[in-house]
Amino acid sequence: MMNKKKFTSPIIEMLIGALIAALGYLAFKRGGYYYKLTALTGRGVVFYILAALLALGGLAVIVVGITSLLRVSRYNALVESGDRAAASSLDRSMGIKAKRALSNTFIYVLLVIISVIWLIPFICIILQSFRVESTSPVGYIVPQQWGLANYKNLLNTNFPRWYLNTFIIAIACAVLQTVIVLCMSYVLSRFRFKLRKPLMQFMLILGMFPGMLSMIILYRVLKDLGMTQANAVPGLILVYIASSGMGYYISKGFFDTIPKSLDEAARMDGATRAQVLFKIILPLSKPIIIYTILTAFMAPWADFVFARYISLNNPIGMNVAVGLNTWLSKDQIDSMYTTFCAGGVVVALPVTILFMLLQRYYVEGVTGGAVKG
Amino acid sequence: MASVKLTNVKKIYDNNVVAVHDFNLDIKDQEFVVFVGPSGCGKSTTLRMIAGLEDISDGTVEIDGEVVNDLQPKDRNIAMVFQNYALYPHMSVYDNIAFSLRLQKMPEDLIFNKVTNVAEILGITDYLMRKPRALSGGQRQRVAIGRAMVRDSKVFLMDEPLSNLDAKLRNQMRAEIILLRQKLNTTFIYVTHDQTEAMTLGDRIVIMKDGYIMQVGSPAEVFEKPENLFVAEFIGAPKMNIVPAELVNANGAYQVKLFGAAIPVDGDKGAELARARIPGRKVLLGVRPEHIVLSKEASASSIPVTLEVNEMMGSELHLHAFTDDGTRIIFRVPTIDLTASERAGLVNGAKLNVTFEGKVMHFFDPETEKNLLYSHEY
Amino acid sequence: MSKKSIVSPIARIVLGLILAAVFCIFAAKLVDPWINKIGTAKAKDVIWSIITLIAGAVLLISGIAELVRSLHFNRMVTNSGMQVKKVKHATIGDFFKKIGAWFANAGKAVANEFKDIVQTFRNGDWKTKLSFLVMGFGSIARGQVLRGILFLLFEIVFIVYMIFAGVHWLSLLPTLGTKGPSVVYNEVLDQYVSQYNDNSFKILLYGVLTIFFIIAFIYTWRLNVKQNKISEEILRSGKPLKSGKDDLRSLVDDKFHATLLALPLTGIIIFTVLPIIFMILVAFTNYDGAHDGYYNNLFTWVGLKNFNTMLSWKAVGGGQSYAATFGEILTWTLIWAFFATFTNYFLGMFVAMMINKKGIHFKKVWRTILVMTIAIPQFISLLYVSKMFAKNGIVNGTLIALKIIDKSKPIPFWEDPTLARVMVILINIWIGIPYMMLISTGILMNIPADLYESAKIDGASPWQQYRKITLPYMLFITGPYLLTSFTGNMNNFNVIYLLTGGAPANSAASTAAGTVGYTDLLITWLFKIATGAEAQYYMASVIGIMVFAVVAVISLIVYNLLPSIKNEEDFQ
Repeated sequence: MMNKKKFTSPIIEMLIGALIAALGYLAFKRGGYYYKLTALTGRGVVFYILAALLALGGLAVIVVGITSLLRVSRYNALVESGDRAAASSLDRSMGIKAKRALSNTFIYVLLVIISVIWLIPFICIILQSFRVESTSPVGYIVPQQWGLANYKNLLNTNFPRWYLNTFIIAIACAVLQTVIVLCMSYVLSRFRFKLRKPLMQFMLILGMFPGMLSMIILYRVLKDLGMTQANAVPGLILVYIASSGMGYYISKGFFDTIPKSLDEAARMDGATRAQVLFKIILPLSKPIIIYTILTAFMAPWADFVFARYISLNNPIGMNVAVGLNTWLSKDQIDSMYTTFCAGGVVVALPVTILFMLLQRYYVEGVTGGAVKG
Repeated sequence: MASVKLTNVKKIYDNNVVAVHDFNLDIKDQEFVVFVGPSGCGKSTTLRMIAGLEDISDGTVEIDGEVVNDLQPKDRNIAMVFQNYALYPHMSVYDNIAFSLRLQKMPEDLIFNKVTNVAEILGITDYLMRKPRALSGGQRQRVAIGRAMVRDSKVFLMDEPLSNLDAKLRNQMRAEIILLRQKLNTTFIYVTHDQTEAMTLGDRIVIMKDGYIMQVGSPAEVFEKPENLFVAEFIGAPKMNIVPAELVNANGAYQVKLFGAAIPVDGDKGAELARARIPGRKVLLGVRPEHIVLSKEASASSIPVTLEVNEMMGSELHLHAFTDDGTRIIFRVPTIDLTASERAGLVNGAKLNVTFEGKVMHFFDPETEKNLLYSHEY
Repeated sequence: MSKKSIVSPIARIVLGLILAAVFCIFAAKLVDPWINKIGTAKAKDVIWSIITLIAGAVLLISGIAELVRSLHFNRMVTNSGMQVKKVKHATIGDFFKKIGAWFANAGKAVANEFKDIVQTFRNGDWKTKLSFLVMGFGSIARGQVLRGILFLLFEIVFIVYMIFAGVHWLSLLPTLGTKGPSVVYNEVLDQYVSQYNDNSFKILLYGVLTIFFIIAFIYTWRLNVKQNKISEEILRSGKPLKSGKDDLRSLVDDKFHATLLALPLTGIIIFTVLPIIFMILVAFTNYDGAHDGYYNNLFTWVGLKNFNTMLSWKAVGGGQSYAATFGEILTWTLIWAFFATFTNYFLGMFVAMMINKKGIHFKKVWRTILVMTIAIPQFISLLYVSKMFAKNGIVNGTLIALKIIDKSKPIPFWEDPTLARVMVILINIWIGIPYMMLISTGILMNIPADLYESAKIDGASPWQQYRKITLPYMLFITGPYLLTSFTGNMNNFNVIYLLTGGAPANSAASTAAGTVGYTDLLITWLFKIATGAEAQYYMASVIGIMVFAVVAVISLIVYNLLPSIKNEEDFQ
């Protein structure tokens, strides 16, 4: 059952290599054009580098194509002569050794580039937070003078207040939201009652409305209750936890994976449904509980719209997101840019560390419950 | 012709774990060979080495006389049915079966004919356009078999294909596999842990344990002439009774002494012992439950036992008893052979006497566990 | 045996042809300056031409190929003489029939309720009949004191509320107040002071609450009536009624779900459902900054006027018509959601597969680096990146320092419309890939290995294995996720607002509702309108409703399209 291989694949490879090399040549010409312009010599250099890479790459692909060609002809010869074993082992090595080394190097290069790109903004922000020679946004990355002035400056502003606000909100949400979400997910996973499906569909439809719409009326109501502006913190907590029940999806997916026979066995032993929840299900749900607490804790640090609207320009009630954003307004940015960077680092660091410590649970939650679909 | 020959085949994993030791086997064309044994005995590993899914650490595998060690799976002219069926969930049954043919760039007309033929043989024509998740276990089984059949390969490999089915379906599918085998001219290599499947399906059975071949033979051979203790206990249900006894040679006439009784080894068995010049010695005596009979009264050649459990199996009773020193024995009695009063007497604590003939005795060396009479080096 | 459906390939061909036609339009725009040697092709047109060409070609080619295959297959089926089963197609007619059936069932249910109420009255004993008026009487009279008192309490509270407040609010609901703020002479202070009278906001709010309350009351009353009927039946059969203790115990046992759901559902109803209903109603008023209902003028019902304004093509006070603006923003929103979703999806999967490949070391390191970026609060990343690409930002600064661009011509990342849109999509990829990579990794690790082994035996090359096993399997599992991701991106406020604030401004598209930018989504437009100087809440509500409509329609189509195609063959 051994067929001869066609030559199309190697020929295509060689053509692609030629194409890439041709592009390299074009890049070379363009580079020459830019290089001659003094203001754009850098761009010329970039094009020269690009040309070199393309030429090398094109050449490499052509070489690969030629070797593939040789291999295919050898393979066909072997098949013709009936030496199936040799042909098959040639086939195997063709697919594996040569190409794998090449693609692996390529992948490593790509991964390094990706890692750099992903990390650059954060490295920049950290570096910028140590810049003391100026406080406005500049065009270079590495500070000329290093110092902790920006961090000290944080203490002179409302930043500590914002930090405390957000921290309180985060703790409150972490606890209360978890309770509410778990209640909701547990019920939807375990109980079958008449309104169950309509309830889930109803919440699905509710989710299609832009959340922002309710902001306006919630603001008026909270205002009447005195929970806005300076007192935004309790107001925000109330808003966050009240509708948190709608985020049951992932937790429910997790609960669905716990076999119902455990519930049934416990109930046969005489436990009430409540006891089943507290004594059996919850102890088994450590990953999802931690996941829920983690995400509930992290969310308030990032919320912008609601916090801004409810605190309405009163610096006492702002959270870190809104507060830091005010420093980027046209009139403040020149003096507060580096302080913003420092603030960003102070906000990001604890949350990131916490996340890294509990990363396992986050990943488990996402891969387990998120895609049960 | 599609014979399969394994010579000194070994499988050693990276951490120096030896999964298969020195496997030697000659499978004839169109033979149905079953690899059977407990979990971890190396049967699936051997099958996968034949398929090309595992590298062969040492030795050669030949298919049709050609060494295939270095051949890719697709070049070995084999087809495989997996335990979990391995059906592509997003393709219809038709596309699942046609998959390999399309990879070979066969024209669609030919593919259509082949697929519909196979579907008809297996009775799955009505499901051709469904997706696997709309099928029951048995139907998916058939699709997996169909996918293997359509390749017209010479060797059919099956890796525990019936393990995921319920008991009733398993019996049904077993029969269908036998019918299938009669229709196709291929060599079958079948892996299972179920000795019933092995006995009913195989022309020859290869019993494996811990990577070694324990015995190779036809179902009758392994049943009647188990070459070691493992095979003796593995084949046949309920298990063979193995008890320590003393073999006594009294001038050419043999006797077994156990539990105070002395049972003569009569008939051909005695002659075999004499021919092999087996001396008097301590042995492990094996007797199958169905070969132990009730004696009406005690005698020098009957063993007194106390009945413990009486299982009513329908046409026969399985009686669990123990001897005076607590050794457990199981034996079977056809219900029809007992009178009503005799049946009534078979209760917990009843004192019974059992005996058996020479021709059903098996003698094993207590140290090597080998059968004193039949032995073989694999 | 069934024949293959040709609906899907034909649909693809039609779509492909449409796209091809659109491509021709853009291509013409490109070719024109080239032929006439005047001006240069706009970047926008180049991008659109490429997109429509590729998309159209893919659809056309795959559609034609599929059609040919299906026709060939169907011909073979006919020639084979096999019995052919009819395949039922889910048509639009079925869809409407479903809706009709739903209404019919609802109507029947209501009718049944009425019948039941009447019957309970007729057949019930005097305790039951009295309960129709005094809620809970029947329960108390039969010994279920706890339940009875709860019912009775509810009725009393309701009646008191209605008398002292409910009726008042309801009466003002049709007009939303008549007496606006006025200026009166205050003798004590000897000056004119403002006097605030009716409060439209409160009227609307409490009016709606009252209606809710009435509905709740009707439901509870119905429950009370049903209770009586059930109690009578239980007593008639000789069994005892549940005592108060039983009721309390059932709250932690068989009725535990009610106990657990009470708090979350209350929260949702008050803080999500109520505001949404309120805002839907606002869309039918003229509530804005100038008509805030109390301090400035009252607001009142205007019927469908706002919707007419939104959908009208007439230019309004110095700007484009609302409908045109809406159309433009909607188009960009859909395009953005499409690209944001699918780039993240495929690139995330690609990165996951790269890291997962055999022979790649330090897998954990690569994954950790990417996953770390999920932890950092998005607003920091977005705000900072936004500043990075500003005219005087780091990126331009570095490029100038390296002499890659001219000092006097920094790249207008956020100022050029097309460039801004591209940047927004690219940065969203930066934000979204780690999450998608996590999900993909989880799924990739769960693909059964024997699928690949079977393919190997069948002779599939690694590339074929990817195409025929990995890719379809992933799409199979993450299909629903794609939909939620798409609708989520349509409402992705943070990314757009924090990066660009909707800029650069699109003065041509600005309407009386305020300035609109090229990167504005419907939702950021909504935000601007609601928080702008004029605070036109009613327009914001209208937009919100339309967003909902679009999302709902898309979800409905996708949900009904996918399963019906999948189940087509299963239908026999």
